[in-house]
Amino acid sequence: MTENDFNRRDFLKVLGWGGAAVALSGCGNTSIQDGQETVTSYVTLPSFVVPSISNYFNSTCAQCDAGCNIMGRVREGRVLKAEGNPNSPINRGRMCGLGQSGVQAHYNPDRVREPLLRTGDKGETLTWDKALGLISEKLNGTKGAEIAFVTGGMSGHVQALLGNYMDALGSKNHFSYEAISPAVLRAANKKAYGMSMPRYRIDKAKVVVSFGADFLGAWISPVHFSQQYAQFRKGTRPEGRGVLVQIEPKMTLTGANADRWIAVRPGTEGVLALGIINVLGKAGISIPADIAAVSKEYTAERTSKETDVSAEQIEKLAALLKERTPSLVLAGSAAEGYAHGSQNAAAIALLNRVLGNVGKTVEASASVPFPQIAPTVGNRSSLNALNDGLAAGKYKVVFSYGVNPVFSAPASMKFKDNFAKADFKVAFAHYMDETALAADLILPLDSAMEDWATVVPEYMAAPEGAGSNAYAQMSFRQPMMEKVFPDTRGVGDILLALLKQRKADEYKPFDDFYSYLRNAVLKNKVALGGKAGDDDEVFWNETLSKGIVPFKGIAGSVSAKASAAGLKLPAAADADPSYPLRLIPAVSASMRDGRNANEPWLQESPDPLTTSVWDSWVEINPKTAAKLGIVEGDIVEIASRSGSIKTQAYLFPGIHPDAVSVPVGYGHDAMGRYARGVGANVFGMLDAVYDKETGELALNETSVKISKTGQRVIIVKEEGPAGGSQAGKQKIAVQVSADKVDLSKEV
Amino acid sequence: MSVSNLLENWSEFRHTHPVDDKGYPDWEAYPSDIKWAMAIDLDACTGCNACSVACYAENNLPVVGKEKYSHGQAMHWMRIERYWDENDSGFQADQGARFLPMMCQQCEAAPCETVCPVGATNHTEDGLNSQIYNRCIGSRYCSANCPYKVRYFNWYNYPEQENAWPAPLNQQLNPDLTVRTKGVMEKCTFCKQRTYTARNNAKTEGRPVQDSDVQTACQEACPTGAITFGNLHNPESQVAKQWQSQQVDLIKDVQEKDEKEGNRLRGYRILEELRPYPSVMYLERVRESAV
Repeated sequence: MTENDFNRRDFLKVLGWGGAAVALSGCGNTSIQDGQETVTSYVTLPSFVVPSISNYFNSTCAQCDAGCNIMGRVREGRVLKAEGNPNSPINRGRMCGLGQSGVQAHYNPDRVREPLLRTGDKGETLTWDKALGLISEKLNGTKGAEIAFVTGGMSGHVQALLGNYMDALGSKNHFSYEAISPAVLRAANKKAYGMSMPRYRIDKAKVVVSFGADFLGAWISPVHFSQQYAQFRKGTRPEGRGVLVQIEPKMTLTGANADRWIAVRPGTEGVLALGIINVLGKAGISIPADIAAVSKEYTAERTSKETDVSAEQIEKLAALLKERTPSLVLAGSAAEGYAHGSQNAAAIALLNRVLGNVGKTVEASASVPFPQIAPTVGNRSSLNALNDGLAAGKYKVVFSYGVNPVFSAPASMKFKDNFAKADFKVAFAHYMDETALAADLILPLDSAMEDWATVVPEYMAAPEGAGSNAYAQMSFRQPMMEKVFPDTRGVGDILLALLKQRKADEYKPFDDFYSYLRNAVLKNKVALGGKAGDDDEVFWNETLSKGIVPFKGIAGSVSAKASAAGLKLPAAADADPSYPLRLIPAVSASMRDGRNANEPWLQESPDPLTTSVWDSWVEINPKTAAKLGIVEGDIVEIASRSGSIKTQAYLFPGIHPDAVSVPVGYGHDAMGRYARGVGANVFGMLDAVYDKETGELALNETSVKISKTGQRVIIVKEEGPAGGSQAGKQKIAVQVSADKVDLSKEV
Repeated sequence: MSVSNLLENWSEFRHTHPVDDKGYPDWEAYPSDIKWAMAIDLDACTGCNACSVACYAENNLPVVGKEKYSHGQAMHWMRIERYWDENDSGFQADQGARFLPMMCQQCEAAPCETVCPVGATNHTEDGLNSQIYNRCIGSRYCSANCPYKVRYFNWYNYPEQENAWPAPLNQQLNPDLTVRTKGVMEKCTFCKQRTYTARNNAKTEGRPVQDSDVQTACQEACPTGAITFGNLHNPESQVAKQWQSQQVDLIKDVQEKDEKEGNRLRGYRILEELRPYPSVMYLERVRESAV
C-alpha cells in the first residue's frame, strides 16, 4: 500500500467509518463530513468486521441488464472485487469481464462528484438544495405533457418511484431507451410463442442453430447462457455433446465457438430458415400447411443462390436437425437488424415449431404479478418518439437517467440539436458523458456499489425443477461501502426528494430511499416469500443477506402457434454500386453500447476475435481487402449516406465478403480519460432505416463504401506477427474431431 | 554469475525437487502433500476474457495503455491466445476460432528457475514456481528462458510515475498482495494469496485441503467452468481425477497414451516435450465434423 499515493488519513476514515456505515444502514445522505455519524474505533468494531478478513455482501450487477447476482468482497470498509453469487439461478456464481469491471465504475476517477449547473458555456457547482430547488422552480407552471423522462430499461422500486413521480407531475412521457436491445426479438417471440421472453434451454438441446444470437457474448443474459453452454458441451450429458451451428455474416464470440460457422449474405437469414424447412419437408418431416405454402418456393438451389450458403451445407444442416432432437433455433440481433428484421425473426421461429422444439427447449417463463416493479424494457423506437417530440418543441423539461442518446443516436436524427430545444435538461449522471455535457443541470449519482435498488430481470432464469414456469425473482442492490465521493446521491434518493416537492405529506414518513424500500418490501412480505408472522427485522436481514428474493410469478405457457401467415421475405437487393458493402455494427461483450468505455480493464481487455485493444477497427474479409488494395493497419474511411468514420483496417476471415464490421461503443468525445478519443463512433453514421413492424432502428441496413486515406498504423493487438497461425506442428491449441474422441467417461 | 553459483543453484533446486535415477521427479521424496495443478477444458472455454479481467482485479495488475501495449508490455498474467484453423488454402474460419487461455504453467522443472542469478524465482514446496519480488534484480533471464512467454516485467513504476491507479481507483487494490514496482518480474501465482489462506485454514482445522477451500480468481469467474484447480496429490480432488482419467502423468515428458494407436482421450500439455513438466493440463477442443 505504501507504494501508492494513498492518503493514510482517508484510509483510516474508510476503515473506521465505512464499516460502521454499512452496518447501520449503509445509505442515507448524511455524510461523515457533516459530523452526523458516529466514529467507530477499532475497539468496538461490529462483530462481523475483522481486520484483514473479507466480508461478502450480496448485491446485483449493474453493468448490463441481465441482472446477475453478485457478491462484493469488502475488506476494511472498501469493496475490492465482485464475485458471482453461487445461489443465483442466473449466473450461478460466475461473472463476465464486464461485470468484474463494475468496481472500476465505482472507483472511477472521472465520476461526477457534485451537482453542476451550466449556463451557456460556463459551468458552476451548486449544492443539492439549490439543484433540487432549481428543478422545482423550472417545473412550476410546466404542464405534465411538457415534461419528459428518458431512462434505460428499468425495474424494481426505483422504477416504482419514478412512476409515482411521473404521476405526480401528470406526465405520461417516460421513454425507455436501450441503444442495443432485443426489441425485434421480443415482438417476434410474442407472436410465435405467446410470450416475449421465453426461457431458452441450450443445455437441453442436442443441436443449437443460432442465426446471429451472440448468446456467449452480448445477447440478453450471456453469463447465464454460458452456464447452459457448458452443460451443452458435456459429453457425459444424457443427450451427448451438443453441436452448435452459428449463421451470421460477421463472426461473433458465439460464432467463434461454433462447430460450424456459416457466413450468410447479410439480411438473408430468413430465406435460409425457410430453405432449411423446405429441405426438412423433403426429408420426411411433416410441415404444417401454412408453413409449407411459404417454404415451398425456397428450394435448396434457390436458397443457396440467395444466401450464398452452399446447397450441400443446407442439406447437411437439415439432416443433422432431423437426426438429433430436440434442437433449439435462436434468432439474434444479426438477423433482426433489417427493414424486414421482424420477418426474418418470424421465419426463424417457424423452425422451432417444425422441429417440435417449443415446450422442450423453448420453455415458458413467469410474468411478474407486480406491475410497478416488473421490468420496463427499452428499445430504439421510444427514442424516436422522444426525438420527434423534442423536434416539435413539445418538451420543456427533460430528465435523463442511465442513457446516453447524444452518443448513441444516429446523426440523421439530429438528437443533440433537438435535445437543445428543451428549455431545461437534467441529467442524472455517473460520468460527464455526451448527454450530460448537453444538459443544463447535472446531478451526480451514487455508483451501483453505493446505492440501494431492487432489480427484476427481464430474462427470468429459473432453478431446475417443477414450477420453473412460475419462478420469478427480485434481486437486491445494496451499498457495500461508504460513498467514495460524499456529494453524490442515489437515484432513489433524488426521486424521493423530487416527489417530496410534490407530495410532501405522502412521502413524509420516508427519510430516504432506504426507508422507502424497506417499508415497501416489508409491506409485501408474504408475496415475497415470507410468512405473515415473521419478524420484520429478521425477514429484512435475511432477505438482504441472500440478495435474491424468489417469489411466485404468474405461470406462463408457450404456444407452438408460430404461423407463416403474412410472411414475406424480400429478395436480396442488388448492392448499390456507389455503396457496395454492408456495414455491420458489432456489439462486443465488453464494450456493449459504450456506457462502460471509461473502465480501463475493458479497454485493455482484447477483443476476443481480433485481439485489438484501445481502439476501433474495421473488419474486412481478406478477399474484399485484396480487391480494394487494403492491408492490415491501413487507415480507411468508411462512408455511408449519413456519415463517415476513419479507422484502422483489420483483415478478418470471419466476415462475409459483402460486409464490413465496426464495433460500437468506441469513439467517445467525453466521459473520461479512458474513453475519450479512443476509436470512432459508428452509431453516428447509421442510415435511418427502420424495421417495418416494430419501428426499431435497423442496425445492419447501412451501406458503405471504403477508401484508403493513405495513412497506415501498426494495430495494437495481442495477436503476434504470425497472426492466428500456430507455428510448426507443436501441440498448442489442439482441436479434435468429435468422432475421434470418447467423451462419455470424462470426469 | 559464476558457473559454481549456477551449479549450486541447480543442486539446491534438485534438493527440493528430488529426482529418481532416471532423472524424473521423484514423488516419493516430494517434500509436501500438496501439489497445485490445473486443468482447462478448451471445449468449454469460449475465449470471453472474464478470467483475464478477474486476474486484473485480484492480482493488482496495472493497465498500461495503448502505447505500452503496442510495445508488448501488457501485464496480463492470464491472456487468451486466439488461433485459426490452418490448411493449404490459408486461414479458415468455418469452424470458428481456437482460444487458449495462457498463464504460467507452474512447471515442475521450470526453465526460468535455473537461470535466475539471484534465486528470485524458485520452487515452493506446494509445487509452485514462485517469484520473490524484493530479491528480483530485473535481469529478465527467466523471461527469456520461459517457453510459454508468461513472465511480465515491470518496465515502469506503475503505481507512482505511471499513475496506473489514479485515486480513487487505488482503493480497489487487493491488500492481500503487493503492488510491484519498477524493475521486477512478475507472473501468475495460481492466486497464492488464496491458496495460502486455504492451507492455513485447513491446518488450523487439522485437516487436509479440499477442493471447496480454494478457487483461483480465473476459475471462480469463468462463466463456463472451464478451469479446474486443486491439489494433484489428493486423489479426491477434481483436478487429480481429471488428470488421471485423461492419463496425463505430471512426471512424464511423453505420455504413454500418445504412443498408442486409437487414443481417444483429449488431455495434453503444451510443450511437454521440452521437459518442463508443466502443472496445467489442457483438454483438446472438440468439433463436430458431421455438419
